[in-house]
Amino acid sequence: MKEILTIIFRLTVSCLLAGLVMGGGYIMTTKAKQHNEHVNEQKVMLSLLGYSKDNPAPSDVELHEIYRYVVTEDEELSVAYLIPIPGGCTFVNIGLDGNFIGQVPVEISAEKVIKAGDRDKAIMAALGEGKAIRFADQTIVVTEEGFRMAYLLPGEFPGFKTFIKVILAVDPAFTLLGLEIMEHEEDPGLGGEIVQDYFKGQFKGKPFATIKTLDVAKLPIPDEYLQALESRKGGISASEVERIQQLYSDKDIYALTGATISSRSVTSGVQAIVKKFAYRVSILDRVLAEQGIEVSF
Amino acid sequence: MRTNVMIKRILLALLLFCSLPALAQAELITGKSFGEEGNEIIVNFAKAVDRTVASSLDNYIVYEEPDPDIRLSLHQIEIAEDGRSAVLKFTEPLNTTQTHVVSVKNITPSILETFKVSKSYLGYLLSILIGAMLINNFVFTKYLGLCVFFGTSKRMDTAKGMGITFTIVIVVSAIMSWFFYQFFLKPFDLNFLQIVVFIGLVSLTVQAVDTVLRKVNPILFNAFGVYLVLVIANCIIIAVPLILADNEYNFYESFMLSFGAGTGFLLALYLMSAVRERMELANIPPTFKGIPIAFVVAGQFALSFLGFSGLSLF
Amino acid sequence: MATDKSNFQLVVNGILNENPIFRLVLSMCPAVGISTTVMNGFLLGIAVLFVQVFSSVTIAIFKNMIHPRIRIPTYTLTIATWVTIIDMVLAAYLPEAYARMGIFVKLIVAFAIITMRLEMFACKESVTSSFWDGVGMGLGFMAGMMALGFVRELLGLGTVLGYDVLGFKPLLFFVLPFAGFFCVGLMMAFFNYIEIVYKRAKAIQG
Repeated sequence: MKEILTIIFRLTVSCLLAGLVMGGGYIMTTKAKQHNEHVNEQKVMLSLLGYSKDNPAPSDVELHEIYRYVVTEDEELSVAYLIPIPGGCTFVNIGLDGNFIGQVPVEISAEKVIKAGDRDKAIMAALGEGKAIRFADQTIVVTEEGFRMAYLLPGEFPGFKTFIKVILAVDPAFTLLGLEIMEHEEDPGLGGEIVQDYFKGQFKGKPFATIKTLDVAKLPIPDEYLQALESRKGGISASEVERIQQLYSDKDIYALTGATISSRSVTSGVQAIVKKFAYRVSILDRVLAEQGIEVSF
Repeated sequence: MRTNVMIKRILLALLLFCSLPALAQAELITGKSFGEEGNEIIVNFAKAVDRTVASSLDNYIVYEEPDPDIRLSLHQIEIAEDGRSAVLKFTEPLNTTQTHVVSVKNITPSILETFKVSKSYLGYLLSILIGAMLINNFVFTKYLGLCVFFGTSKRMDTAKGMGITFTIVIVVSAIMSWFFYQFFLKPFDLNFLQIVVFIGLVSLTVQAVDTVLRKVNPILFNAFGVYLVLVIANCIIIAVPLILADNEYNFYESFMLSFGAGTGFLLALYLMSAVRERMELANIPPTFKGIPIAFVVAGQFALSFLGFSGLSLF
Repeated sequence: MATDKSNFQLVVNGILNENPIFRLVLSMCPAVGISTTVMNGFLLGIAVLFVQVFSSVTIAIFKNMIHPRIRIPTYTLTIATWVTIIDMVLAAYLPEAYARMGIFVKLIVAFAIITMRLEMFACKESVTSSFWDGVGMGLGFMAGMMALGFVRELLGLGTVLGYDVLGFKPLLFFVLPFAGFFCVGLMMAFFNYIEIVYKRAKAIQG
């Protein structure tokens, strides 16, 4: 009996000790981890817009975050946006037919709004009883000197294996400025090649009209196009690259060798994200204009 | 005898209980599914519907569940001869992996009939099972659990014993891990304790199975007992709870995943042991004898399992 | 009973005589799965080295207080704690490296090599000996992974540590999973061959 007690006692002590060590480690590292994630995302977003270490963003470039939610009230669904306005945030509720339902101011600080838990709580507090919200997605409006320059659209869609997470950059006319693959689990060497310049780069510069009917062509990439896409490796002038990009801007996407399904997934995923966004942002802009809501962007 | 009768009665009661909801309502919509072509939804009605109403495009609103504000555009609606089924054709191919919500008005006057169309959930569950068993076989595609694999695949009986023991332990420990994850780790934001908790549960399960087996069926224990200890040193046993926590699977999905992982391991062991027994009699060069040639054979199996990649049955 | 090997000999032992991957045939999972490039092998090797050394030292320090009947759970608990710590540290300070290794960092807890080493060495030997033995084992593991990674990366992608050496991809399939099996098998056969030749040379001499 005594032996069992000693065993249990010792085991419990070791567990508690282990728990303390891990808890301490967690507290020390979790802030760094979140900071890292945030910095990484910022870096990716700025590079999508064409900025880098050698070409830093001018100081009047600002990123404004819009969060889209689906609101359920008594079985009625509606779409709502948490928008930054001068002096805070507002939650604009729009019906499924594009009609303005209402807006409520939301009290939340700029640091807390990035955290999903705090954000949801603040919105629920502002909305009151009887409503349920579900987070849908996030859009970032990039302004320079107060004018809209681009939109950054994070998105996710099924790939060949599991999901592919991307961030797109589009300009106000919905021409694709760039595509960055954030996460994927495709096969290395096959589907994994979607992160290479010669695939991602094909999306750059495609106008909205082309995106709406974009398809995948199971043909090899023409040499000159390949050279232009891999222009970072050198051997081709910037003006040549532009000319070639312009030439191919209304063509379909050339599939990756041995990864047709991954290529198709990315193409249809990007297409869906851009189309849905174009539809939604036009409704949002119309409602904001009609209601005279002043926004930060 | 009496226990058998009791069990049968309980099962019958359960069956009736589960089918009650279906019997209680007399639904207008008796069947709904995605059509063969990529852009169709097929609806079956309990009684013949008014042709003009049912084929009018304005009476239908269809959207994907996560995007209620994006209405999908219908191209044409075909009503069957007897008026009891309709085929909704869309202008663009549907994303069948998403649940679609269809609302029909005016078929039953002043009632908006709403129903959801999605790929069968059972199909989804089975696809997780097949995925864990074949497509993402834990040994040949994810290369986990190899130490134990090579140790116990020398003879077919040890292979079978190990495989079955492993399947039992992994299913039980995965279910327990699921409970712990859902009710302790997630709500209290203790995700960093995942590793410790999961491995603790595995040890507990092994201990429990060991004790139970000893008492209930000593013969079985003599056959399989020795493998129980080896189970703990197996990478798969902790990979499965980590995966189901990462993917936020529910109870049934976790069960399917762990069962698939276990049977996949059993399958891999069985195949490997069959080959290795034969190799004992083959003329292998001395440098390759034993483990090296086993690795090469495993590589060939892995190559053949690569053929399952991308298989999508449901 | 203290070991009669010097500390240096312990380290060398871990790398050559009792190399975890090629001689003890333990911890195969990462050897096959992660050894696609030298960098991956190196990073996971560092992680394992860390866990091995810290676990060995912890157990050596507490070896007199561990009740024999709960040996295994105690080892498991220690290893799990250190694995969690390294997992969190990597995720926080080296996110790219962490993303490459994926689930394998968490799986270190199930590596047989660490538990075995604790059972066979750390619970009997002194703290310093356990420390150096842990270093040896960790280095041996890292060396093995890097050797495999070197072969696979060179033949599969034509690069070494990311630098394009060959300029083309000779046999792309070497980075795919099953080639890991082939490579390990072939390298083990190679080690066996060296052993046979060595023994034969010794037999002829003596």
